[in-house]
Parts: sequence; C-alpha cells; structure tokens
Amino acid sequence: MISSADAATEFVFKRTFDAPREDVWNAFTQAEHLKHWWGAPGSKIEIARHELRPGGLFLYCQKFPDGRTMWARFIFREIVAPERLVWLNGFSNEEGGLTPNPWVPAFPLETLNTVTLAEQDGGTLLTITVTPINASDEQTELFAGGIAGMKMGFGNSFKKLADHLAGQN
Amino acid sequence: MQDQLSSTFAALADPTRRAILARLALGETSVTELAEPFAMSMPAVSKHLKVLERAGLIARSRDAQWRPCRLEAGQLKEAASWIEEYRRFWEESLDRLDAYLRKMKEPAKKTSSNGATKKKAKSRSKE
Repeated sequence: MISSADAATEFVFKRTFDAPREDVWNAFTQAEHLKHWWGAPGSKIEIARHELRPGGLFLYCQKFPDGRTMWARFIFREIVAPERLVWLNGFSNEEGGLTPNPWVPAFPLETLNTVTLAEQDGGTLLTITVTPINASDEQTELFAGGIAGMKMGFGNSFKKLADHLAGQN
Repeated sequence: MQDQLSSTFAALADPTRRAILARLALGETSVTELAEPFAMSMPAVSKHLKVLERAGLIARSRDAQWRPCRLEAGQLKEAASWIEEYRRFWEESLDRLDAYLRKMKEPAKKTSSNGATKKKAKSRSKE
C-alpha cells in the first residue's frame, strides 16, 4: 500500500477509450471539441486562442460556477496526427504570460506534457506523461516530491489516515 | 500555507524521509527505532526528522521521555488533498473526454443495423 520507491520526475497516466484513434485525436486537438471537455474539474472553458502548429498558443480561461476564473496555456511543440501531441503546459494570465502554480508557487512554471495515442483492440490507448521543463533543481525536486507522495498513496490511504488522526484530536 | 505545501513536497522528495513516513504510518515510535533500518547515524536521522517536522508532517511528543515521533494530521491532509486534486484533474478530464467521445458516436449508432443501442461497458485502465 505504502512504499518509498525512488522519486521520479515523471507523472504518467493511462486510459483506454472505446473510440477510434482519429476521434480521440480530434477531441484533443480541435477547439470546437476541446471546449466540451477540457479544463479543471467543475469548470467550463472559454478559448481565447488555439493555434495548432509548433510554437502555437492555446490560451483558455477556466470558469467556475462561483465566479472564479483561472487562465492557462499550451505552447505546442510537436503535432504528429493522429498519434503524438507535445506541449508546454502552464498557468498564465489572460495575456498568455506564465504565472506560478496557484497552490504551490515554488512548483515548476511549466511542464512538458506528451500525449500518445495507440490503437488497441479497436479502441485507443492514451498515455499522458508530465515532466518539469525549464525548471530549477529546487522546482524539479518539489515536483518529484509530489509524484513520490502520489506513489506512496498519499492521495488515498494517507488521506484516510489523516482524517482518522484528526478525529482523535 | 502555500509555502508549507512547498516544504512538504521538498520533504517528500527524499527516499529516506518517505521511508520514515511509511514507518510512522504504522504508529508512533522512538527515534532509535526509526534509525534502525537505515544504517544511519542518529544525527543523520535527526536531521531528516527536523525537515519533516518543519514541513509539518510529523510531530515529536514533549511529554514522554523517549519523545516518540508521530505523523501530523493537518499538513498531511493538506498535502494529500492537493495530490488527490492533481490526480483527479486527469481522472475527471479523461472521464469527460470518454463521455464526449461516446456522444460523438451516437448519431452513427442510430443508423447502424445491429441494434447498437445497448450501452457498452466502460473500458478504462488506470496507471
């Protein structure tokens, strides 16, 4: 349940979809599709810019029901339809200038996000890799700490434990 | 609180400190006992404990003479919630993508001849 494996600086997430690869690719790379599903949980996004070309900017605003807004951006790096999308990912202001992570300001400003799509049993296997980029050693170490925490089961078992401990006080 | 999260993640970046936390998850224990599995000098262990204490992840009892270490609930919960949020961001984003892809397929299904109205089992695998 809880292990103390070495810190990695790569966050990997996989999911299979019961849909053709072309559809998943389109949903990930076209503004008219992205606006229906992309964004932080509970938010709806408004897209200010979406330039699907290397170096192009995807700038969007996440709007929450309580009126809060949170801007974020992609800078596209590699676009290989329908199998590979690479972008620099970060929070931003509404002009598209990078801003620190709102919760952990000492985190790397940008991560390199890679999505690969592979055909699998008539469906599509999506793999997302997130790793710090243009970051200082301290920023990279913090990111590794977060990933390590996740691998330790901080998100699940430790949360239950914390609730339990809090109940005892 | 923001700086506290940063020092929490910095504390977690070290494998020895993660091992100490994993040990303390089993219950409070003395510094001597903590040092045992690490083949490490007491001062070295104490240094790690200080980092964990500063990060708010553990506390050391003042009353008992052997000053046992234990996990601290508050900051632990803060860090756990943040980590959970990050995982949830991807989880929920991909749930929405999954639902959206199914919706995209619907018009095609209506015209297909094999009565494809029954719901397909959700197929997903997680890391």
